[in-house]
Amino acid sequence: MTAGAVAVRDETVEVWDSRLRLHVKIAGDGPPLLYFHPLPGLAWQPLLDQLARRYTVYAPEHPGTSPGDPQAIREVRTFGELLLVYEEAVGRLGLGVERPVALGQSFGGMVAADLAATFPRLFSRLVLLSPMGLWRDDAPIPLMEMVSGSPEDAPKYLFAHPESDAARTARALPADPEQIPTAIAQSTWNVGCTTKFAWPIADHGLDRRLHRIAVPVLIVWGREDAFVPVAYAKEFGSRIAGSRVEVIDDCGHVVQADQPARSWAAISGFLAG
Amino acid sequence: MKVSLFEQVPYRYLPEGFENQYNSVVTAPYQVVEPARMTESIVSAYAELLCGARAGFDGIGVTEHSQSSYDISPNPTLLASAVACAAQAEGLGVAITVLGRSLGKTREPLKIAEEYALLDCISGGRLIAGFPVGLSYDANLNAALPAIETRDRYREHRDLILKAWSEPRPFAWNGRFEKYGQVNIWPRPVQQPHPPIWIPGTGSPGTLRDILQRDYVFVYLSWDGPKLTGRQVFDRYWDLAEEMGRDRNPYRLAFLQVVAVAETDERAEKEYAPHLEAHYRSGLGSIPHTAMAVPGYAEPAAIEGMLRRTGPAGMLSRMKTATYAEIVESQVAIVGSPDTVASQIEAFVREFRIGNLLVMLQNGSMPRELTEKNISLFAAEVLPRLRPIWDEEGWENPWWPAAASAVPEAAAGGKA
Repeated sequence: MTAGAVAVRDETVEVWDSRLRLHVKIAGDGPPLLYFHPLPGLAWQPLLDQLARRYTVYAPEHPGTSPGDPQAIREVRTFGELLLVYEEAVGRLGLGVERPVALGQSFGGMVAADLAATFPRLFSRLVLLSPMGLWRDDAPIPLMEMVSGSPEDAPKYLFAHPESDAARTARALPADPEQIPTAIAQSTWNVGCTTKFAWPIADHGLDRRLHRIAVPVLIVWGREDAFVPVAYAKEFGSRIAGSRVEVIDDCGHVVQADQPARSWAAISGFLAG
Repeated sequence: MKVSLFEQVPYRYLPEGFENQYNSVVTAPYQVVEPARMTESIVSAYAELLCGARAGFDGIGVTEHSQSSYDISPNPTLLASAVACAAQAEGLGVAITVLGRSLGKTREPLKIAEEYALLDCISGGRLIAGFPVGLSYDANLNAALPAIETRDRYREHRDLILKAWSEPRPFAWNGRFEKYGQVNIWPRPVQQPHPPIWIPGTGSPGTLRDILQRDYVFVYLSWDGPKLTGRQVFDRYWDLAEEMGRDRNPYRLAFLQVVAVAETDERAEKEYAPHLEAHYRSGLGSIPHTAMAVPGYAEPAAIEGMLRRTGPAGMLSRMKTATYAEIVESQVAIVGSPDTVASQIEAFVREFRIGNLLVMLQNGSMPRELTEKNISLFAAEVLPRLRPIWDEEGWENPWWPAAASAVPEAAAGGKA
């Protein structure tokens, strides 16, 4: 299934006692869906276009990752505060009554899952794409290795098919060489802003709260995930009553890049059900 | 001018080709170590520092690195206290410079306040307290603290330590990172309200401004060579000093320089070249550049500035393959006869107005015998030429411990 590009607009919502202006990208039409991005920041992508054909997609940018506003991250001190910021933002966006769908990926999956556990009436449904947030000693998540390692090695953690178009697009630098230093500085800072709440181990005790999630949940994982190993699919699934787990073969951490059709089939099927 | 002997504590027996297989930090494999040789490497560093104290250096210096093969000094106050005790017993009035405990890395800053205070007592008030942020690999990988909080922690820890040293009564500390009900450390530093504070840094404008504002000493390390990046940093420092209304007292500035001296230039090359090459390649050259700036450690503007920087690139990025010729040409190390070494040092010291010089005379695989020759020769034939450099300008040096200010006998007598 292919999707035409949709118009994306920027909005800012003031939250956290006016200390933060949260930047949100919005597109599409229909009931609300919140997308929580992974460690490198928000990248608009075909998956969001597909979702925007059925939903109004709201994609907030993690504090500090919006260009021109790097110090915003200083206003959020702990992961607990980050959850409160997003809970406020849902209200400020006027989505509180409708109870949006939440879709979180990797780091964003941890955020979405913890929001759903902490505020059980915040969302109506939850989709988690290879979320962080749990830890098993026999399945370590190589966050430190990936983030402090050579950038050329990052695709090995993220993609089963590092040379696919989607994987190449994900790490592409601007065509204009003049813009490259700005882009590298921004993407590096973004990772600093997100890893603030994931370092060195992204375990805030989510395993002790997941039982509180009381909405339909889909968990999607790539069997060859080399960042958050597929062992965690079962960990999430077994802790969330009634959740559905879809493990996709020949697929790495960024499921929609490695297996766009199968990922979309799982996601759209669940959302339609 | 004050001249101190600085040492790292490398494992001196790294296998040939170490740099082609391993990193020197964080993941450096301990399996390459022979335990007896580790003991020897560490004990030699203590002995050489004491050798320097006896030879007439004004001070000795050490610093902190964890999980590293090039500087096995997870707590430099341990090393410094051993040297301080021995120096006291022998009546050697050397300053004890810890360059120091990393304030952005520590999870227990009060321990630093206590250890420094203890060291100031042990040394009879001769401590120079280094307050570095800590390298990114150390703070963010070894200590695993979120990179983006490194400087916030640094600032809070520095404030806490200064208050713990000088506040007469127990106080509560409600910080963001540290909370205590009753801070009341024993002992307090002999030097009140605090020992001289030296801050090592890479010379970013923000850091320099902070140092000048608080009237501390800025310490710059020569890894990139004084010729290349040194000039930019020193010019910036003195420009800022002028802008902020500070005087041009050279004792506001400290510089660390690697030096290797022998009887002649030829002999110096023959004796030291293999050790210097191995040192840079397997030590600094084997720290992955990504580990020096874990995302969040540097502000986006700083990263962009670095990427857009034109002008001379320092040696740091080429250390893994550094040749003796490059090392000497860039002055990353100054090597040669006493005349060669003294004249090169004197030239940049005068040009950049450096009042406190730290020289590093042991490198990588260099054995104790050769190191002690380097120390003795430097003390006898180079140091006496450097010491009077700033005398004619007549500056006070309030950043030197008063108890260490008397000229030690060995130096006053002079062997040269």
